[in-house]
Amino acid sequence: MEILVCIKQVPDDSVEIHLKSDGTPNLDGVTKVANAFDTYALEMATRLKEAVGGEITVVSIGEDSVRDALKNCLAVGAEHAYQITDAAFDGSDSMAKAELLAKAKAKLEKDNGKPFDLIFCGFEATDRASGQTGAQLAAVLNAPLITSLVDISSKDGKIVAKQETDFGYNSIEAATPCVVTVSKPEYDPRYPTIKNKLKAKKMPIGAFAAADLGVDASKVGQGAALTHTVSFSEPAQKEGGVKINEKDQEEGARKLVAMMVEAKAL
Amino acid sequence: MDQNKNVLAFVEVVDGKPVNVGLESLTAARTLVEGTDEKVVAVLIGSGLDDAAAKVAASGVDKVVVVDNAAYAAFALDAFTNVLEQLIKKCNPAYVLAGNTPLTKGLLPSLAAAFKSGNVADVMSIKKDGGKIAWATPRFGGTVIASEVIEKSPIQFATIRPGAFEKPATAAKAASIEKESIAVAADALRTKILEAVKEMTEDVNIEDADIIVTGGRGMGTPENFKLVEKLAEVLGGVVGATRPAIEENWAPRSRQVGQSGKIVTPKLYIACGVSGATQHVSGMSSSKYIVAINKDEEAPIFNVANVGIVGDAMKILPVMIEELKKVKAEA
Ligand SMILES: Cc1cc2nc3c(=O)[nH]c(=O)nc-3n(C[C@H](O)[C@H](O)[C@H](O)COP(=O)(O)OP(=O)(O)OC[C@H]3O[C@@H](n4cnc5c(N)ncnc54)[C@H](O)[C@@H]3O)c2cc1C
Ligand SMILES: Nc1ncnc2c1ncn2[C@@H]1O[C@H](COP(=O)(O)O)[C@@H](O)[C@H]1O
Repeated sequence: MEILVCIKQVPDDSVEIHLKSDGTPNLDGVTKVANAFDTYALEMATRLKEAVGGEITVVSIGEDSVRDALKNCLAVGAEHAYQITDAAFDGSDSMAKAELLAKAKAKLEKDNGKPFDLIFCGFEATDRASGQTGAQLAAVLNAPLITSLVDISSKDGKIVAKQETDFGYNSIEAATPCVVTVSKPEYDPRYPTIKNKLKAKKMPIGAFAAADLGVDASKVGQGAALTHTVSFSEPAQKEGGVKINEKDQEEGARKLVAMMVEAKAL
Repeated sequence: MDQNKNVLAFVEVVDGKPVNVGLESLTAARTLVEGTDEKVVAVLIGSGLDDAAAKVAASGVDKVVVVDNAAYAAFALDAFTNVLEQLIKKCNPAYVLAGNTPLTKGLLPSLAAAFKSGNVADVMSIKKDGGKIAWATPRFGGTVIASEVIEKSPIQFATIRPGAFEKPATAAKAASIEKESIAVAADALRTKILEAVKEMTEDVNIEDADIIVTGGRGMGTPENFKLVEKLAEVLGGVVGATRPAIEENWAPRSRQVGQSGKIVTPKLYIACGVSGATQHVSGMSSSKYIVAINKDEEAPIFNVANVGIVGDAMKILPVMIEELKKVKAEA
């Protein structure tokens, strides 16, 4: 099974992001990490690979910092890693990113003489939570799409995906090549061993620019994007919150109930 | 070709009923056409849709289009994408909306790709800015809101955030219901649902609840979590949970509140042993009245609470349960 996993680098999602005085999100000093759902996707892909054989390639569109995310991927299951980068790509919308990922896939297939059977994306990225790139990549590739996976297996050249639903799950079959997006499985991503970390450090990370991919620079980047952010704001704060902090907790609890009654919250 | 006009709103139907956020998306659709002669057209796809169609027809829409066929009994993404693609080509709407659910999350981006346009996910509010529509959508787990516009495209796509818009009031006059038979070519169907498993039978839908009592990791053990259940019972509410509590199997996954769970807006939300991570808070911060119980004075959950109490939930909850029983008995 030849597997491609798309990795997006996002600001650490355990940090609360607020606006700067100029009205843009303050990302100063916020560490960049691989999108949580992409780490789940890589773990799922790695388990599948361990079950059926094959190799995993990770790709990420972005500036040089994405190489750190890719290095980490090489330490926990991926064999090959490529950065997709070019000044012309800045400000690309999800459609343009889907085009870039499709072009990178085609180039890798041509260079290696092996097609990818499965393309993994995260269900969504924690920065925008839009979850569009995977679906649009499937559209660009004209490949079947299965969303919100919590598990996957493969049998007789077909894959069977376990798709999370509000009520349980669907078991969905598709032929390869196929695009899947991954939600939170029951398992957590593995940590790299020290040995694998050292090994990953020495592994090369390739880079593709517009010219390598044969991308028309006018079709990607800010200029080609149809969706634009015009302004940012912060949600209205809850005002007048009260905090009860009594030595006698039972007394505090009674006070709390009295306040709830007074506020007609019941 | 004529200019695109009108709003097409896809309303997801589950077990014969339109989902809440699907109905809420009709209110969003109304906002878009307000003050114009454009129409709101609701689309239902599935099998056995008569009741759902009647309900949607009375929800302030101008027309309901129903694609009712046994072939669409389950929400198969490629079938639904294909049916909607055909309908959109036929009606040329200016906007296509859907409630944001795990399934429409795959649908709308695929359609946006098919029509080479943009899609804004999880829209919290809509502003008309001159001729442009500004869609507000959360960023970074909801601490920031971005206002986005889609330009250079005759058609725009958006999914509506659960709880962001009210459900439409029942209209005095029901809209007309039109049946369309739309077939999907066999080769367009490339995924097959082998089995749809319901793990949660007879479960409540926490999105509908007026009162939610949520337990987090701070509850510590399954026995302690029972205090959360007890409090919910006394209040006539339902139990919610954070992701760690779900992973401990203290509650079923359908009760998860937050970014990868449900977005809820009850009248009363009580968070017990919940730290208030952004991924959780983004799913509950629009609740009307929020109570937080946490032993850590600095826990971020206190920032969104109307009233918080610093202390041990195992001491506080039993007292609350007893006190509330008294209040209920008096009422
Ligand atoms: C991509 C992604 C998606 C996610 N989606 C979700 C989601 O949908 N929903 C969700 O909930 N989480 C989600 N999470 C997880 C989220 O980041 C937090 O880890 C989680 O919300 C924390 O849950 P918690 O508050 O129960 O646990 P903790 O953060 O461990 O907090 C426990 C709290 O209990 C308090 N406590 C301990 N003992 C007591 C006591 N005796 N009495 C009172 N208080 C006590 C502690 O002070 C602490 O504040 C997601 C994470 C990621 C990366
Ligand atoms: N810059 C990127 N590079 C590689 N993959 C990406 C990139 N952006 C998005 N993706 C993939 O698309 C998924 C959904 O992202 P998004 O559409 O931004 O929510 C991510 O989880 C990734 O798998």
